[in-house]
Amino acid sequence: MLKLIASRVTLVIPQLLIVSALIFLMTYLIPGSAASAILGDARSTPDEIARIERLLGLDKPIWQNFLSWIGGALQGDLGTSYVSGRPVSDALMERLPATLSLVGCGFVVAVVIGVTLGLIAGLRAGRPVDRTVTGVTSFLQALPEFWVGLILILVFVLALGWFPVLGYVPFAQDPARWLYGMVLPSLALGAGASALIARQTRTALSEALASRYVDTLTAAGLSPVRVVMKYALKNAMVPVLAAAGLTIGILFGTSLVMERVFSIPGVGTLLLGSVLNKDIPVMQGGAILLCVIVIIVNLVVDILYGVLNPKARPQ
Amino acid sequence: MSDTVTIRTRPRGPEQLPSPTARTVKRLLRQPITMIAVLWLLVVLVCAVTAPLLAPFDPNDNDFTAVLQGPSAEHLLGTDENGRDVLSRIIFGARIALLVGVGSVIIAALIGIPLGLLLGFRGGWYDRIGTRFIDIFDALPGMLVAFAVIAILGRGMLPIMLAIGLIFCMNIARMTRAVTLAERGKIYVDAGRVSGLREVSLLFRQVLPNITGPLIVQGAILVGSAITIEAALSFLSIGLESTTPSWGGLLGVAVTKMAVQPFMIFPPGIAIVLTVLAFNMLADGVSQALGSQRRRRLRRTDRAAARAAGAVGAAAAPDADAVLQVDDLTVTLFSEDKRVPLVTLDHLTVGRGEVVGVIGESGSGKSTFARAVLGLLAPNLHITGGTIRIDGKDMTHAPPSQWRKLRGGTIAAVFQDPMASLSPVHTVGAQLVDTLRAHRRLSRRAARVEAAALLERVGVRGAAKRLDEYPHQFSGGMAQRVAIAIALASEPALLVADEATSALDVTTQAQVLDLLLDLRDEYGMGILLITHDMGVVAEVCDRAAVVYSGSLVELTDVKSLFDAPQDPYTVELLAARERRPRTIEARVPASEEVTS
Repeated sequence: MLKLIASRVTLVIPQLLIVSALIFLMTYLIPGSAASAILGDARSTPDEIARIERLLGLDKPIWQNFLSWIGGALQGDLGTSYVSGRPVSDALMERLPATLSLVGCGFVVAVVIGVTLGLIAGLRAGRPVDRTVTGVTSFLQALPEFWVGLILILVFVLALGWFPVLGYVPFAQDPARWLYGMVLPSLALGAGASALIARQTRTALSEALASRYVDTLTAAGLSPVRVVMKYALKNAMVPVLAAAGLTIGILFGTSLVMERVFSIPGVGTLLLGSVLNKDIPVMQGGAILLCVIVIIVNLVVDILYGVLNPKARPQ
Repeated sequence: MSDTVTIRTRPRGPEQLPSPTARTVKRLLRQPITMIAVLWLLVVLVCAVTAPLLAPFDPNDNDFTAVLQGPSAEHLLGTDENGRDVLSRIIFGARIALLVGVGSVIIAALIGIPLGLLLGFRGGWYDRIGTRFIDIFDALPGMLVAFAVIAILGRGMLPIMLAIGLIFCMNIARMTRAVTLAERGKIYVDAGRVSGLREVSLLFRQVLPNITGPLIVQGAILVGSAITIEAALSFLSIGLESTTPSWGGLLGVAVTKMAVQPFMIFPPGIAIVLTVLAFNMLADGVSQALGSQRRRRLRRTDRAAARAAGAVGAAAAPDADAVLQVDDLTVTLFSEDKRVPLVTLDHLTVGRGEVVGVIGESGSGKSTFARAVLGLLAPNLHITGGTIRIDGKDMTHAPPSQWRKLRGGTIAAVFQDPMASLSPVHTVGAQLVDTLRAHRRLSRRAARVEAAALLERVGVRGAAKRLDEYPHQFSGGMAQRVAIAIALASEPALLVADEATSALDVTTQAQVLDLLLDLRDEYGMGILLITHDMGVVAEVCDRAAVVYSGSLVELTDVKSLFDAPQDPYTVELLAARERRPRTIEARVPASEEVTS
């Protein structure tokens, strides 16, 4: 177990380094330079730009800046926003709970709906139920999540009035209302991802059911319920877990859009503003934060994968 | 017994075999859903190309006297916040959707295909490092990549295409790599290499054409996703400027005016959904058309209808000594348009303590017969005639519950590939303990002790320790011993061994066969041994049945089978064994659909 964790963690370190290097390089790739973004067009004289660049340390070699940026990031210092002048980490921490709530609830929705549908279809592969589920999932997959969100708002907020217009309430403030506010956004977010999980579950389960070990155990007299519930299911869960890990990254991406749909004050809306304003520190901070979260979640999934699948463990 | 499986040798002239592409297209034309999808995509394409002609208004014509209107005779889909005609903007939006969708997938393909080809073809360190890099890149949320690209390059059509292309390129690279890896091992690649083709031309001229099918499927799906991402970006107003009419941009306006004019979210949303759905359906259709030769749909047939189809003959008298008695058995394959009898067997018995071999080539129906005896026939196979008696009980049309009782102690099975016969994610101990507990009232601990004893009995050394190991930690021979132990847990009267030693090397095979004989002596069970190997028959069987093309051609004791074969086919089989290299392919029946 420790060996498994150690081997997975060593794989993650170069991943983190490369990703942070890519994000850091953005500063140098954005045209018009950081200095002119801070100064605005009117005050962008060459002298002023040079002064600001010295102030930002942009005159120093690139690797030196990278190391000091990484060093700062590790201590929770992601610089200050060009626009608001606030520390980036403060702004991010303020908004992170909303994003995590959204992605977390969306993930639960995706897994619950996806696995349920997939099991129903997989147990009856080739029958009408299976074809219906397959039809439903391919439809769900084609729906743009943000549009589903709009439709949900239209029906349940504007027409029926079952949910408030601005639904987000921090968990710390009132857990019940937080959950209430999460219902529509997480449904919209999770629906598409659930299709992916459902398809994977269906395929995995029907393949497991057609496998030799199911025959062996059935022929040896194990009850079908036990063969399915204990043996086929655990085998089927291996690829399903991999698919679930994949959806996490997708959900974080989609949540950036979903926050706008449901006016949730999360990292996504902050990032969106920074793209429009070329507020580089905020963009870099937000990007590195989300990437690190996604990488860590994937690491956990990877370890779980090793726990579930003995073949994936280091020998 | 009618000889219904006729060998049809179709003349295979080049004029009768259409090109693979033509065949795929022909199959596509027969899929109604794909055709509907294509039709819709054609509508979108026509809109995109002839937008200025089709659109009733200029898409940027403001009319501030008629803003945010619902559908009317003048504006069929209403107007937006500047009084611009929504229908016209939707029609022009088709241009953006297709351009961005196709453009970004082309960019992704230009980066991803060469990368995937290289990694898959070179293998080794290139592959390991490259795949790791792809994984890193692919784990990032796509939307973040898009944000970054747009922050660097600004808004506009090209940055969006580049952003989406970058998101997708790793997906395409990963897929190209996987398919290339599979193609690399094939003969034509070796042939090309031997004949001195350069790597680049080998990759692009030889390998690439062979992986076009899967790439087209993936490409169609990605075009759909690209349209969604473009819509999301425009919706967030970091995509295209509002002077360029796009579906996502319309939705971006709609969300701010939803309280005033909710209708506006429907036209662009439905346009997106239908188009994405059409691309997905097209991909599904193409993948089905490409693969339908191999993947025949298993159709579950009605048990009652199957029973009715078979003539119910007079049941032969049961033989008291036999653990297995088969009379006039017919197993029929029900496919979409025809019924093919796969197995017709007039009489076969296995007595207590007797080893009876069933020998035949692959495709002769011997495995189908084994599955019929076990009550494990695939859903499209049915017994349409005759009887199967196990331990005196007529099991021909027994319901699953009756089979279950039988498996509880009368009958058990060992299959060919020992690794596939054991669940890879459960310990060997768990599988043994569960089987033991299914038959006897045992505590978990007692069952574990019993399991260790049983493993030891079948020749697994250090059994108590190995209970906690997984199948992949066992060698093939040892894994087969485990499978035998699982079968023995029920102390069966009849053991069906379906090619149980075929996957093992010769020495291990002999050991496992010896074990089976020992166990036969100890437990007094009958063994039905399905095999293609005359040597195995000679070594362990008391009697043997020779099966050809689903029918029994000879059933006799082993000595006379080898000394005085009666049927010409048996003679041929024996001859084939002596002169190994020669195959008797010419006589393999034309039943490729047979599930072996």
